[in-house]
Amino acid sequence: MRAFNAELSKLFSLPGIWLAFLIGAFAPALIASLDSIAQKEEIIAGVSTRLSEVGYIGLALGVQGVIILGVLAVSSEYLTESSESGGGQQITTSLTVISSRFHFLLAKAGAVTVISILLCIVAIMTTVSATYLILGEYAPAFEWSRLIGAVCYWTFTAHLALGITFLTKNGILPLAVLIINSSVVSFSVLLYRVTKLAFYLPDRAGAEMFMFTDNTSTGTLFDGFHTPFTGGLVMFAWVLVVFIVAAVVFHRRDVAA
Amino acid sequence: MLTINNLVKHRGTREILSGISFKARPGRVTGFLGPNGAGKSSTLRILLGLDRATSGSALINGKPFAELHNPLATVGAALDGFGAHRMRTGRAHLRWIARAAGLSNSRVEEVLEIVGLTNAAGKRVGQYSLGMGRRLGIAAALLGDPKILILDEPVNGLDPEGIRWIRTFLRERAESGNTVLLSSHLMGELAETVDDVVIIKHGTIVADGTLDEVIGNHSTLEEAFFALTSENTGDVV
Repeated sequence: MRAFNAELSKLFSLPGIWLAFLIGAFAPALIASLDSIAQKEEIIAGVSTRLSEVGYIGLALGVQGVIILGVLAVSSEYLTESSESGGGQQITTSLTVISSRFHFLLAKAGAVTVISILLCIVAIMTTVSATYLILGEYAPAFEWSRLIGAVCYWTFTAHLALGITFLTKNGILPLAVLIINSSVVSFSVLLYRVTKLAFYLPDRAGAEMFMFTDNTSTGTLFDGFHTPFTGGLVMFAWVLVVFIVAAVVFHRRDVAA
Repeated sequence: MLTINNLVKHRGTREILSGISFKARPGRVTGFLGPNGAGKSSTLRILLGLDRATSGSALINGKPFAELHNPLATVGAALDGFGAHRMRTGRAHLRWIARAAGLSNSRVEEVLEIVGLTNAAGKRVGQYSLGMGRRLGIAAALLGDPKILILDEPVNGLDPEGIRWIRTFLRERAESGNTVLLSSHLMGELAETVDDVVIIKHGTIVADGTLDEVIGNHSTLEEAFFALTSENTGDVV
């Protein structure tokens, strides 16, 4: 519990984390607003084919906040000080304060989980409010089960970012890959053109916890493939594998290496 | 008590430490001397559980670091650099460490006062001078009021006043029964602070004894050091 408190204290005293909060709280609402505005006429006319995704699209594409959170939680440990100040790293202090590396890893994952859940709840509130503000009575009802799915999706995404950064020890690569993947070019969309295994990639499978619930088949990647539960399970399996690999590598690795 | 027993460390094909053994005893300041790259920091890192030994053991009060329940209350360490994120304030850095050890924020203010950083505690660590960063590292090491202190090059970057402060401070710690192990390459500063001296060269201990024993027939510790590290002769113990 002490290690967990220390990790929360670390995160809240890091200025970069406030950027994560800002993006996490408002990016989904912004994306959902733009999407709602673009679709408003079709929705009012009752011809929209994407009514079930209104609002949720913001929660799917706006996960950058928790990606930054997960990456920063680890990359801040490995940020090397300038050579004039001795070239040290915070990880040295962290591991001389908490003797078990496994406890340290769990404490960090715990702190990221709590913040991700809270951040997603805030994002849901801003996104739902923005959607109602734009669509008024035409806004679809938001179901609890799908919103819980979105919270899980955010938390799992944060953990993937955290686990990958433990492996790379540097935030730039995971930040670039995960943010581009979640917003600009999704690797699962590219892979879908080659194989249906794309449906088992963590972002695509996880998104089924709250997206692609419309059963009308369009013969594209945007059809439902898994049930929300199976989709969540597939993403959780990815998180578990990444986390175990990260834990093993972290446990064996010399800090000086 | 710190006990290093037959410690071997390989990194890739290179042998960093070739079976070194020494002790740092309570009530004494032990100086761990050696040229750059001799294996001082590697030894301290293994002692603190940061790096793994290839073989041998490094024990703190008879236990490896990983088995210490609340390490901050047993051993305080300040290694290379500040060990702090540059965007955090000095006070915030000490506060998260205090949380990890279950200590209060008032203890943070106490150690800031001890190291003379109270006025700079609200500044970001990135704006600290080398001397201020070293003081912050020592403040972190002191938070849990441990019986053992391990300091890597503690006088590096300190101004003359800071050097005098740390010398007095470490002597006081040892005289009240604590164990102090410090590494350094600054002979002059060390000679006035330490009781025991361990000299390492190319991963091998070339001298281990009290200050007088290691100086032996040489006029100063510095002369003894150069004689031992350049010729690799004159093992004391």
